[in-house]
Amino acid sequence: MQIRLYALSTCPYCRMTKKFLDSASVEYEMTEVDKLDGAEKEAAIAEVRELSGGASFPVVVMGDEVIVGFNKKRIRELLDL
Amino acid sequence: MSAAGPRRRFPEGTTAGDLRAYMAPFVERLGYRFNDDEEFVAEVLEAEIEILDEAGDVYCPCRVRTGDPKEDVKIVCPCIPFYADQFAKLRKCWCGLFVRTDVEDGGELHGVIEVPEGPAEVPVALADEFPPGTLRTVRIGKREVALARVGDEFFALGNVCRHAFGPLGQGFLDGHAAICPWHGWRFDVRDGTTDHPGADVATYPVSVRDGYVFVTV
Ligand code: SF4
Ligand code: FES
Repeated sequence: MQIRLYALSTCPYCRMTKKFLDSASVEYEMTEVDKLDGAEKEAAIAEVRELSGGASFPVVVMGDEVIVGFNKKRIRELLDL
Repeated sequence: MSAAGPRRRFPEGTTAGDLRAYMAPFVERLGYRFNDDEEFVAEVLEAEIEILDEAGDVYCPCRVRTGDPKEDVKIVCPCIPFYADQFAKLRKCWCGLFVRTDVEDGGELHGVIEVPEGPAEVPVALADEFPPGTLRTVRIGKREVALARVGDEFFALGNVCRHAFGPLGQGFLDGHAAICPWHGWRFDVRDGTTDHPGADVATYPVSVRDGYVFVTV
């Protein structure tokens, strides 16, 4: 399953999500949206809006599922932990 | 003020402690307090200071600014009034910096809690600060509500006058009538009725508990 984390460097739940994924030793791709510039940043924000219907972080995409916010329980379920 | 860059709202050198002291009396009136997880609070406030240095105001660390000032004003911390209905159900703000005063251990609330369906009971004011005869507008998420106190009873009604959209919460109270500040239409705060046909406004249930006035939307 492909896992993608959209985060902000300033967001505490983003850090918790990252820590949690790291501790579960899964591979994922992370985009720190506020660290991007110009067109790249806009594109990332547009992706997040498209995926989540808003611009609140973190957004975790796991396979077909989009999880908005730090949802340990759901991530666990999807990882079969 | 320099021409380059946005105006800065708090002076250089503002600390997490300063922000905390500034925000506490405001959020208390909205029915919230700082999270009990002190380390977490410190982390969020540090992030807000970083954002203040970069963007000139304490924007939410967990959301992105659009660049449209009208939109971005809704994510200046504390943003509680603009999401009061959602947060009332979550029992905390999105980032978890603030939790409702009736939450026992805010540190337990971290992360996502699905917002339950159905109505939200939203704390909007301290009852003691809302004496009889008061009429005031309160923001609850996307809507505005006119909150009135007549004697010991509280009433909440739609804030927008059906004549020409005057703000009822900025009007006058005459007994049980809220009088629109623009042209004087009268609305009964008990049921939202007016003597102008087809122009009644909505009403919302109000309750008082633990010193707070709650409106259910
Ligand atoms: S969600 Fe919480 S931390 Fe973020 S702006 Fe609103 S009140 Fe502040
Ligand atoms: S707008 Fe309220 S009376 Fe005219």
